[in-house]
Amino acid sequence: MKRTSFSIFAAALLLHAAPGLASNTLIPSGVPVAVAKSPLTVTPDREWNKMGARPGRNSETWTIDGDGLNDVTFYGGIETGRTLFREVSKKAKPLPHFSATMLLTDLPTLFADSYSIALDTQLMTIDSVEPTAFLGQKGIRFAFTFSRLNEEVRRKGEAVAAIVDGKLYMITFEAPDVFYFQRDQPAYRAIVTAATIAR
Amino acid sequence: MRALWKVLAAMAIVVAAPLAAKGDPLPTLPPYAGAYQPQGMDERGLWMMVDEDERRLRDSKAVVSDPKLQSYLHDVVCRAVGAPRCDSVRIYVVRNAAFNASMAPNGMLVVQTGLLLRVRNEAELAAVLGHEFAHFELRHSLVGFKQKRSATDVMAWAGVAAAGAYTYGGTGAYNTVRTAQSVQNAAFGSIFAFSREQERQADLLSMAYLKASSYDPRCFADLWGRVMDEADATARGRRQRSTRYDRVAFFATHPATLERATYLRELAIAMDKSGEDGRARLDAAMVAWRPQLLADQIKLNDFEGTDYLLGELAGAQWTADLLFARGELYRSRGNPRDLVSAAGFYRAALEQEPSNADAYRGLGLAQMRSRDPAAADSLRRYLAMKPNAVDSAMISTLIQ
Repeated sequence: MKRTSFSIFAAALLLHAAPGLASNTLIPSGVPVAVAKSPLTVTPDREWNKMGARPGRNSETWTIDGDGLNDVTFYGGIETGRTLFREVSKKAKPLPHFSATMLLTDLPTLFADSYSIALDTQLMTIDSVEPTAFLGQKGIRFAFTFSRLNEEVRRKGEAVAAIVDGKLYMITFEAPDVFYFQRDQPAYRAIVTAATIAR
Repeated sequence: MRALWKVLAAMAIVVAAPLAAKGDPLPTLPPYAGAYQPQGMDERGLWMMVDEDERRLRDSKAVVSDPKLQSYLHDVVCRAVGAPRCDSVRIYVVRNAAFNASMAPNGMLVVQTGLLLRVRNEAELAAVLGHEFAHFELRHSLVGFKQKRSATDVMAWAGVAAAGAYTYGGTGAYNTVRTAQSVQNAAFGSIFAFSREQERQADLLSMAYLKASSYDPRCFADLWGRVMDEADATARGRRQRSTRYDRVAFFATHPATLERATYLRELAIAMDKSGEDGRARLDAAMVAWRPQLLADQIKLNDFEGTDYLLGELAGAQWTADLLFARGELYRSRGNPRDLVSAAGFYRAALEQEPSNADAYRGLGLAQMRSRDPAAADSLRRYLAMKPNAVDSAMISTLIQ
C-alpha cells in the first residue's frame, strides 16, 4: 500500500515537472523578438530554440541542435556590481563583477575570467579583439577558444559587446570547433547584425 | 548478540589499524626492487583502472607538454627520493591554478601548475613530490581501498544486526540498535581517520627522504605556513571567516594543516641537518612558465590571496614580472585607488624592464580608466612596440 501511494506521488511529481523541463520555445525566423527580459531586440534569419533555463537574471540562451552544440547567449543590460551569470558557488568561487567604468577592452577579460572560474578550466584564451559597431554604439568583437574541465572537445566562440547607458549588452556564440562552429557562425552573425535596442 | 560481538571485534580492528602506526618518528626507507608488478586481484584491478586514466590524461589538453620542464621535475624527484626509485615515476604537469599534486598507485604523478607557482625553492617542491612518492611506495591506494571495503562491510553487518533486533524485539533490542548505529558511525569515521593516518605516514617518509637527500628538511613546514596564511588572506578578501587549522573535522582526509606544519617543523629540528634549497635551479626551470602561471592565478578573482602570494614570491626583491602581475591584479579589481596603484606597479616594472610592451598596455589602460590624459601616450608606445598585437586595432580606436 505504502509503495503504491509512493509511486503515484512520484508519477504526479514527474507530470508536474514535465512542463517546467520542456519549457524550451521555438523562435520563428524573420520575426523581431525581445530577448533576455530587456530592450534588446533581435530578428533571426532562421529558426532557433530558446532554452527554458536562463544562465542568469538578464540573459537567455538559444540553440539549434541542443545545449553545448551551438549556443547563442544574450546578456541584456548587466548592471554595475552584477556578475555575467549565476554563480556556481558564491563562497568558494565568486565571479568578477561588471562595472560601468570598465573600458571596452576590459570586457573580453571579464568574460574569459568568468568562464574559466565557472567551468574550472585554465584553458580559455582570447584569440582576437577588434572594434565594431554594436547597437549603434562603439563596441568590441572578440573570438575565444576553450575546453571544459575533463572534456577534450575544443570549443570556439565569438562575442560582441557594448556598454549602453552604463549597462552591458553582449551577444555570444559558442560551439565545438569541429563542424558546428563554422556551420552556424553565419546565423549568429545575422542575429548580431539585426540587433537593436529600444530606448 | 553473538553477531554483534563479531561486528564489534571487526570494528575494533578497523579503528585500531591506523592508531598502531605511531612510535618511531622517522621510518627507515623501504627496500626497493625495480619494476614492481601489482599483486593479487585487488591491486591488479586498481592498476588496470588507473592505467586507463593515465592513457586518457596523457592526451588531455590540460597537460603541459614541455619536455624540459618534465625532465627537470623528474630530476627533482630523483634528487628527493634517490636514483633507482625515481625511475618508475611518470610526471604529468596539469594546467590548474589550485595548489595540489597527486599520485596514482601505478606511479603516475600529477603536478598542478598552482603548486609550481607556490613553491619558493626546489627543496619545498622536493618535499611535496617526496610526500606523493611516499604514497606510491607505501601502496596507500590499495591499502586505503581495502580499509574502505572492510569499514563498509562492518557498516552493512551492523545494519543487519540493527534490523534483526528491530524485527525480533526482545529485552535488549533498543540497546542493540543503538550500539549498531554507533558502530556504523565509528566505521564510517574510520575511513577518514585512516586517510589522515596515511597522509601522516607519507609526511614522515617524505621527511626520511629529505634526511637522506641534499635538501634542507625545514622547507616542508615553511610551505604549510604560507599555505595557511594565503588561505587566511583569501578568506579576509571575501569577507568570510577563516578556516580553523587546529581542528580535525570528521570528514577530513588530511591532518589539520597547523598540526602538519608543527610536526614537520619538530622533525626537521630534531634532524639537525642543513642543506641546499636549490632556489636558483627552480627559478631557472620556471622562468619560461612563470608569466603564464601568474596570469592563471590572477584570473581566479581572489584579490587578497593573490596579493599575499605575490608578496611572498617577491620577498625582499620585487622583480619585473611580479610587479607586472601586481599591476594586472589591481587593474582587474578596478577601484579608482586600485588603478592608481596599478599604474605605479607598471611604471616600476618598466623601470626594470623597459622593453615590456604589455606593461605599457596595462599602464595606458589603467590611466585611461582613471581619465588620465597620459593614457594615449602609454598606449601609443605599446602599439609601437607590438604593432601586430591581437588587440592593436581595438587599442587604436580607444586613443582616437
